[in-house]
Amino acid sequence: MFYIAIFFQYVAQYMKTRMQYRADLLVEVFSDLLFQAVNLIFILVVFGHTNLLGGWTRDEIIFIYGFFLVPYALFSSFFNIWDFNERYIVKGELDRILTRPIHSLFQIVLERMELESLFGAVTGIAVMIYAGNNLGLGISWTDPFLFFLFVTGGMLVYGGIFVMIACISFWADARTSIMPMMYNIGNYGRYPVDIYDSVIRFVLTWILPFAFVGIYPASYFLGKEEWFLYSFLTPVIGIVFFGISILTWNSGVKRYRGAGN
Amino acid sequence: MKDAITVRNLKKEFKAYSSRSGLKGAFRDLLTRNYKIVPAVNNISFQVKQGEMVGYIGENGAGKSTTIKMLTGILTPTSGEVIVNGMNPHKDREKFVSTIGVVFGQRSQLWWDIAVQESFRLLKKVYKVSDEQYDSHMAHVIRTLDIEPLLDKPVRKLSLGQRMRCELAAALIHNPPLLFLDEPTIGLDVLVKLKIREFLKEINEKYNTTILLTTHDLSDIEALCERVVMLDEGKIIYDGALKSLKEKWGEGKEIEFKFLEEVTLNDLNRITASSEVKWEKDEKEAIFTAFAEDNDELISLLIAKVVADLKVKDINIKETSTEEIIRNIYDRGIS
Ligand SMILES: Nc1ncnc2c1ncn2[C@@H]1O[C@H](COP(=O)(O)OP(=O)(O)OP(=O)(O)O)[C@@H](O)[C@H]1O
Ligand SMILES: [Mg+2]
Repeated sequence: MFYIAIFFQYVAQYMKTRMQYRADLLVEVFSDLLFQAVNLIFILVVFGHTNLLGGWTRDEIIFIYGFFLVPYALFSSFFNIWDFNERYIVKGELDRILTRPIHSLFQIVLERMELESLFGAVTGIAVMIYAGNNLGLGISWTDPFLFFLFVTGGMLVYGGIFVMIACISFWADARTSIMPMMYNIGNYGRYPVDIYDSVIRFVLTWILPFAFVGIYPASYFLGKEEWFLYSFLTPVIGIVFFGISILTWNSGVKRYRGAGN
Repeated sequence: MKDAITVRNLKKEFKAYSSRSGLKGAFRDLLTRNYKIVPAVNNISFQVKQGEMVGYIGENGAGKSTTIKMLTGILTPTSGEVIVNGMNPHKDREKFVSTIGVVFGQRSQLWWDIAVQESFRLLKKVYKVSDEQYDSHMAHVIRTLDIEPLLDKPVRKLSLGQRMRCELAAALIHNPPLLFLDEPTIGLDVLVKLKIREFLKEINEKYNTTILLTTHDLSDIEALCERVVMLDEGKIIYDGALKSLKEKWGEGKEIEFKFLEEVTLNDLNRITASSEVKWEKDEKEAIFTAFAEDNDELISLLIAKVVADLKVKDINIKETSTEEIIRNIYDRGIS
């Protein structure tokens, strides 16, 4: 309860800071929207030429991509930890975090949030509506709830993987280039997994479960019954991966060495 | 009275990696890296009572910051026992840190981009401080530290002294019974220093706040602390009253001379060759200082000898300052 209250305190503070630079904010919102529009056109053009991909139709692929954008937008808004090593370990900013009575990872989420990225979710939903329309998909009353559940699960999968990567900094003091590589691997979650060979599918399902961010949950809404089991596993995998990442984090923080001044 | 801090056989080791030279060395580093284990804090034990103000001193790299980081729960000790405010800082970290306040002079604790009062407001929520508590306590803090005019400025636009006063106020929002200050006066001008000292004395008297502070400015310690703990290479080499430190090691006197003529250290050493005196020269001011045992006869003899040989402009007899005592201890060790 306390954490929810604190979350909104930080959101309010974030808005306030942004409002102070009203001109900047307008420019930023405008450029974000423009970026999303370009993104949208890009998706339609790129997928415009593919008709069937491993048994999936063009509109189905677009729908999956649209779904992927929603958990991805949430992830980008709240898990800006790609520079965790430089900012918090090398510069020793974690010292400050650790002297405050809130869980350290949660504080970093709060400090680093970038709510503008939420616009990506709007684009994602627009893409889904467009593709869903073409496919003649209906909406039942359970869909919004499942959508929420699956999106949250997808965000936790993404967040969990990236938190675990950030944790490497607690054990190794050399810099790694795993972060950018992982962003690339993450992209595979937006394309149908059965077009990849079985090894890649296994990896994307159980090792780096990016498939649970796009293809698996989206399959449910596309009525692909052969994937339903995986669709409903999405929140479970999300919770398990995120849970493991928090345990890793907690034992990592104990190894934090600080920065010698 | 209960102990605010109890430390027993506390130790912290760091691995210091060294890289081998040459290309071959670089490849070997990839596989196994050479490292040495450096004890930054080596088996120290001490206790601090509630309401005490303790100065924690030592040379650069002695292990002061490392100790404070273990006491505040930032670093996990390699071995030993720490109990602060009745808790183990590394277990229940979140519960523990709401009972302490921390200021690191080298590093800001406030959010860089937002106005000071916004930082305060957020911290008030983070520490679950009620409006009444906040108003009655912080109004006073803000007034005493004179930071009212700074409240609407973002931290990055403040000068060092302004920022430090805000940091101090921020560390006190939840009115903690224990305050850790790591070099709180570093780089500050005399007026700000005085203000901060006054303020610390005041909260210590008013709330019986325990304060552990490190500093390289011994006048801070003299102004605030009755007790000092001195650290050298991770070991405690002195723990006791500042007064007895002075009595024990401050036996000597200093006599400062200014001369009307050109004088060299050699001249002086020759003139006073028969007695136990050490001469030093301050180049800029052309002041010569004689360090001698605190013995009236010896000192008057010394002065008589100098005056007989050289034309003197000014003489000044001083007791050895704490600064010098400490410097001597650093140089020569305690024994
Ligand atoms: N994160 C770290 N990794 C490796 N060694 C460290 C680290 N932090 C401190 N040390 C080493 O531990 C020793 C003690 O450092 P510490 O910062 O505690 O000294 P200090 O007494 O605070 O010195 P100063 O007066 O310069 O602030 C030093 O030799 C330092 O090099
Ligand atoms: Mg230090």
